[in-house]
Amino acid sequence: MDGTVVHRACNVEYILDFRTASMEREAVTPERAAETRASDALVSAARAGDRMAFGRLYDRYARMVHGILLCRVPPRDVDDLVQEVFLLALQQLHSLRDISRFGAWLTTITRNRANDHYRKASPVDRSTDPAAEEQAESRTNDPVVEQEAAMTLAVLRTLPETYRESLTLRLVEGMTGPEIAARMGLTHGSVRVNLHRGMHMLREKLAEKPRGSGKALGAE
Amino acid sequence: MKDDYLWDGSGEPDPEVQKLESLLGRFRHDQPAPTFDQVTAEQPVPRRWRLMFRFSFQLAAVTAVLLIGVATFFVFRAGHSQDSGRAWDIARIEGAPRVGWHSLKANAETAKLKVGQTLVTDNSSRASITLDETGSIDVEPDSRLKVVASGPERKRLSLERGTIHATIWGPAGSFGVDTPSAVAVDLGCVFTLHVDDSGAGLVRTTMGWVGFKLNGHESFIPAGAVCATRPKIGPGTPYFEDASASLRDALTKFDFAKIAPPERHALLGVLLSDARKEDALTLWHLLSRVSEADRAAVYDRLAMLAPPPADVTRKGILRLDQKMLDSWWNSLGYGDVYLWNMYERTWSEK
Repeated sequence: MDGTVVHRACNVEYILDFRTASMEREAVTPERAAETRASDALVSAARAGDRMAFGRLYDRYARMVHGILLCRVPPRDVDDLVQEVFLLALQQLHSLRDISRFGAWLTTITRNRANDHYRKASPVDRSTDPAAEEQAESRTNDPVVEQEAAMTLAVLRTLPETYRESLTLRLVEGMTGPEIAARMGLTHGSVRVNLHRGMHMLREKLAEKPRGSGKALGAE
Repeated sequence: MKDDYLWDGSGEPDPEVQKLESLLGRFRHDQPAPTFDQVTAEQPVPRRWRLMFRFSFQLAAVTAVLLIGVATFFVFRAGHSQDSGRAWDIARIEGAPRVGWHSLKANAETAKLKVGQTLVTDNSSRASITLDETGSIDVEPDSRLKVVASGPERKRLSLERGTIHATIWGPAGSFGVDTPSAVAVDLGCVFTLHVDDSGAGLVRTTMGWVGFKLNGHESFIPAGAVCATRPKIGPGTPYFEDASASLRDALTKFDFAKIAPPERHALLGVLLSDARKEDALTLWHLLSRVSEADRAAVYDRLAMLAPPPADVTRKGILRLDQKMLDSWWNSLGYGDVYLWNMYERTWSEK
């Protein structure tokens, strides 16, 4: 199966996507090949010390890093951690053996940094920064919408990790399925399955909220 | 096909996906790239050292396999004697927090807090505990925090004394903290909980909501609000921190002091006259806490500050009609009452 056939036969591809990811043969489209070459060139340049190239890698991958962190740590800490992840990546870039795996490598660094976040936090890191709190909470003036958004994010975070990450990148960060696959080094099929199943689970969980009124608040 | 929209934004838009995009888009990354010019990348390790590292890696791999085998044996054995729930990861922040006889004295030292175990901090110690699927809790000095339950559906701690700051990202209603005078149930939020030596408690919500409950006596505390609780009495009436001092003083006496009905009636007068529009939270709770004779006055004042929706009548509120109370609450803008119902279903039967 070549890329052209996949493009023409969208319905066929859709059906095949529900096989397990390991069964899928990935089609390499011209767009994806160009995307990979561009990323590889930026990684090579960044490894050679080109900070502008690394800045472009940041532009390209920041949403992915942000989304993965948002799955695991409180929103107010995410922006700082994004920068930490990229600084760590810059410092360790020489240890990346296969530059075509930059996205997957960065994903691993991000997950590890999120897991270490609380374990390694110092008292200074953990103190509350009122300005940051305000910034995190001031994106809307409507507390009901804000609450609904926080609740929806909380429900999203209860999904299994694989679905949670793909769905966060799609719904929060606004990335498309092909972008998610390209950045994270995954196949289109596995990302499509993750999005489909994750969305199905998310719908079910959101539908669990009780309809109508129940016991009155505070009434004895 | 709607899945094409989920996949790449093409095809027929899925309204549900569009709504989620709009709702969750507020959390999207929007920070510009930092300046990386001043950062020094680490230099590659020289070849000779690389070879040594490669052999070290093989040795480390063999050692790791042995250690994993031994650890698996002990974990498997411990699994039969301990509660099967997940253990919280403890990290030392300051001093020497301890679990049983074991003290954490080094920054890098970590430990687990299992069901039935208590984390104790002295006056110079602080620690944090984290459970990946639930949240993270900072434990302040002079605190005792015990894990009561850690099952997949329900995580429950007991704060016997001291102060904790909780940041919870688990599902609303799945995490709660027992105190000597009430149970605090997280409804998706960040909050601080303090318990003094007498067992009196105070919860302060920074984000989201907290439900406070004892023997059917309940309070609902949204972000920016505070609620006190006392042993054998339970949670008092919540109020916003910027309420007037006279309102807060009157509320403390009204909720917890042993006073005669005339004095109680007088305190209610202070509460009603000092209440601002923002204090609708407090007045709404008072509707079900005052005597039948006083309820009309509370209704009138609350209706003046925050007019009830069309489906709420004076007569219905005076007889504490639950649907009307819910409806009025929803109109106040603190959030949808369904969360409270979820909380009731999850916790009230435990």
